[in-house]
Amino acid sequence: MKKLVVFISVLCCLVVSCTLDKTDYRAEIDTIVPEHTEFKEVASMDYGDYHVTLNALNGTLYKGHNEIRVQIKNKHSGQREQVSEVTFFPVRTMEDGGSSSCPHRYNLNFQPEGNLFTGYAVFTHESNAQEKWELYLNFTAGGETYKIRQPVSVQQQSNKNLNMTAFTGNDGHEYLIALVSPQKPKVAENKLIAGVYRLRESISEPVGAFPDSSMLSYSEVRDYTLLLDPRMPEPSMGNHSSPNNIDLKQGEDGLYHGVVNYTMTGNWTLNFIMLNQQGKILKGTVVPDDFTPGVEGVKSELRIDILF
Amino acid sequence: MKKVYTVMGFLFLGFSAAAQHQHSNDTTSVMSHHELGEVKVIDKTKKKIETEMKMAVSVDQFLASSENISFIKRGAYAWEPLLNNMSTERSTITIDGMHVFGACTDKMDPVTSYVESNNLATIDVKSGQEGSLHGSTVAGSIDLKRRSTPFSEEKQWKGAYQTGFESNNKQFFNLGNASYASDKLVAEGSFSFRKAGNYSDGNNKEVRHSQYQKLNSSLGLAYKLKPLSSLRLDAILDIAKDVGYPALPMDLGLSRAIITSVAYKQLFEKGLVRVWDTKFYFNAIEHYMDDTKRPENLVHMDMPGWSTTYGLVSRANMVMGKVTSEVQLNAYNNVSIAEMRMYPQDRSQRTMFAYSWPWVTTNFTSVAMSNSWEISGQSRLNFGGSLGHNYNYSRFAEFNWIFHPGASQQKNRFLPGLHASYQLAVNAFDFSAGTGYGHRAPSVSEGYGYYIYNSFDRYDYIGNPDLKNEVSYEVNASAGFKTERAAIETKVNYFHIQDYIIGRILSLGSPMNYQSVGVKGYTSLPYARIMNIALHTRYDILHHLHWKGTLTYARATDDKGGNLPFIRPLSYQASLHYMHKNWGVQTSVNGDFTQKSYSPEYGEDRTPDYWVWNASANYAFTLRKTAAVFQVGAENLFNQYYTTYADWGNIPRMGRNIFTSLKFNF
Repeated sequence: MKKLVVFISVLCCLVVSCTLDKTDYRAEIDTIVPEHTEFKEVASMDYGDYHVTLNALNGTLYKGHNEIRVQIKNKHSGQREQVSEVTFFPVRTMEDGGSSSCPHRYNLNFQPEGNLFTGYAVFTHESNAQEKWELYLNFTAGGETYKIRQPVSVQQQSNKNLNMTAFTGNDGHEYLIALVSPQKPKVAENKLIAGVYRLRESISEPVGAFPDSSMLSYSEVRDYTLLLDPRMPEPSMGNHSSPNNIDLKQGEDGLYHGVVNYTMTGNWTLNFIMLNQQGKILKGTVVPDDFTPGVEGVKSELRIDILF
Repeated sequence: MKKVYTVMGFLFLGFSAAAQHQHSNDTTSVMSHHELGEVKVIDKTKKKIETEMKMAVSVDQFLASSENISFIKRGAYAWEPLLNNMSTERSTITIDGMHVFGACTDKMDPVTSYVESNNLATIDVKSGQEGSLHGSTVAGSIDLKRRSTPFSEEKQWKGAYQTGFESNNKQFFNLGNASYASDKLVAEGSFSFRKAGNYSDGNNKEVRHSQYQKLNSSLGLAYKLKPLSSLRLDAILDIAKDVGYPALPMDLGLSRAIITSVAYKQLFEKGLVRVWDTKFYFNAIEHYMDDTKRPENLVHMDMPGWSTTYGLVSRANMVMGKVTSEVQLNAYNNVSIAEMRMYPQDRSQRTMFAYSWPWVTTNFTSVAMSNSWEISGQSRLNFGGSLGHNYNYSRFAEFNWIFHPGASQQKNRFLPGLHASYQLAVNAFDFSAGTGYGHRAPSVSEGYGYYIYNSFDRYDYIGNPDLKNEVSYEVNASAGFKTERAAIETKVNYFHIQDYIIGRILSLGSPMNYQSVGVKGYTSLPYARIMNIALHTRYDILHHLHWKGTLTYARATDDKGGNLPFIRPLSYQASLHYMHKNWGVQTSVNGDFTQKSYSPEYGEDRTPDYWVWNASANYAFTLRKTAAVFQVGAENLFNQYYTTYADWGNIPRMGRNIFTSLKFNF
């Protein structure tokens, strides 16, 4: 019987010990891609009887697309009051004293659940010593209009899946494409969401004391198409691509929706070709399909690199 | 009727008459209907794991001597057995009825690579639906039967030791086994170690990356609980290291298998049920590839795989008058995981990762029955059926959805099977005719594989979780004539396989692996047809001089009349065996004709004909009361340069190989 016990215990040890650990690939993606799901306070301001809180994911504003939530409460009662006409306007002041804005939602939407006003801002630059961002908030409560001006800091976006690109189209206009989702892609079919914006030419005068909708500098582009061709540019991947991707088309929310399939983790390039309403190419080049092992993959002139 | 090497019987408990494998032509039958021509005492030499040519063979070489088995060879080690010219997905390969699944997506580790000739007693090969007892199948079953020492009235120690050297690849091997048997307890163990270098082809050119090292050990303990019942524990540990696969762009770093079981066996002296044998088993396979020794690989990839199986097999043998029956319950749970990690050329950059088997669970349950009805002294009817349930679950189904959006993450399949055959013996003639019908579920790779690189056609393969069951309709027949001195027998089988699963080029996606040229997806052909014909002859020229010959032919086509890959062309094998006193001399020749029906679509090209001549001599002697046999021989005596239809990437086979071996029996 002793033999048996020894034998079984040796066996158990052998069975339990794998010589190589299995990869916990979901945890691995977590270390590369910081996922922020919680809205935290970016800034809070007191103005008259009101306490205004600005929230964003992780309590930080990043270069690129940011979802914005604004909460307005009465300081004394702490109660929600009839607040309306909440507007939002980010302004960047440059070194030379000039100013510009960025794509954003001017009239924030009211979301009864949580008593929030929601919008977005696509910050085109990070804040630094010379260049600063300020937010201008406007709201009406108790028959009075309130105007708030709040400096904020825009940080570098370390998650490449929320990258953006700015470029001049063949029509001479300046455009901006910012990735909205997925924040944390998977080796799977991923819904790809991006915002596409065009710079208005007419804006030339500096932003006045308090900007309003007439001064909007960017507009959401209507009914364009983004042809999508994802690739792994790494030379060892030989221009690898994935099947079943769907080009991005504008949805009811104004954003562009498509599908991207990532076949494995690593560096990917989202190659785009942007078409206008008439199907004319405004930017982007076709990427060859050739399998080119050992050679860095060719990229479109319109692209966003991601990594997960 | 198929050639079945059944041997162990139930010697295990010291009973030889209590029960039998009814459907096999067992020599230990309780019934005395032995008039059928084919029911003869099985040739002793076939009971041992050795061929007529060579007494120290690997499991692969032994299997190769069976006429309905051929091999895909990716090197000198771990050949993939093809049964009836069908790949391993279509057959069930078990070890004592236990299901074991390889952990390599590239089939570098067929189940047969995890055993060694000195822990096996025999290999039981059944063709077609007759093999459905162990689980759903199309091609048949290969059951590797382990050595099992019977209880003994007197205490008995036995052992054997075998050592040898093969010149071509400088293979050294040592095989040892020992057993102790008493009335209550049996303990046995075996140990083997083989180490081989690169082999050289017929042009004396070294085939690089064809080395291997294999260590195998097994343990068995049996305890008699009551006079008619016993408990048995078994374990096999197999470790292979530094195994080269010249036909693949990578080698094996390490593979390890732990195969364990606990079995309870109960015999009954009377009544309907004669034997009831239940076994719980567990096995864990790990397989780690290594491509860092290949300078041609600009990018390196780790491809570890794991396969873990828990299972139950319970079998009862019954006797009802002239009908003997065997009922078997199989149940297992398998989890197969394979990872793929690629390194960018700039090693500091992020690695790339994907699952080639995304944690696929398979739960399989089947109940199978096989009956044999001795209608008369001259005729017998074999019939049986099985019903299986196969459940698959892919943990990371998102991988599968990339190519098959919306494919099911879990899948239930019912797998029925039926078979019947009639055997008739008239004087020196015997005939048989049979038919079968059965389903099989797609394998893990066929269902859930993800960018599995096939270096033969250089495509990456993608599984489809919603493939239909493969349905086989089968007919077989044989006719033979036998006298004391001569025998001739011909066998034919024909399979019409509906929804035949095979890889077809996908227009979407692009290759992931460095060497591949495109992507293929597993799809179902409307049907495929496979026919196998074999002719055997035996003639005793003199009392001590025997001649044997085999001729086999196969043909397989898809629904458009195109050829299927890996189908053996017309091939032959002939041997002469002479015995005199303590001496034995044998010589054999085997070869294939030109492969004309090749399939370019699957990466095949025309393989020229070849023949190989082998010879060996052995001498038996006694050394201090220990029986010993010494053998020396040569394979490919004329150092022919050749490659066969199933050599992956047309790698050349081994050139002249002189082998010696010495065996002691204690």
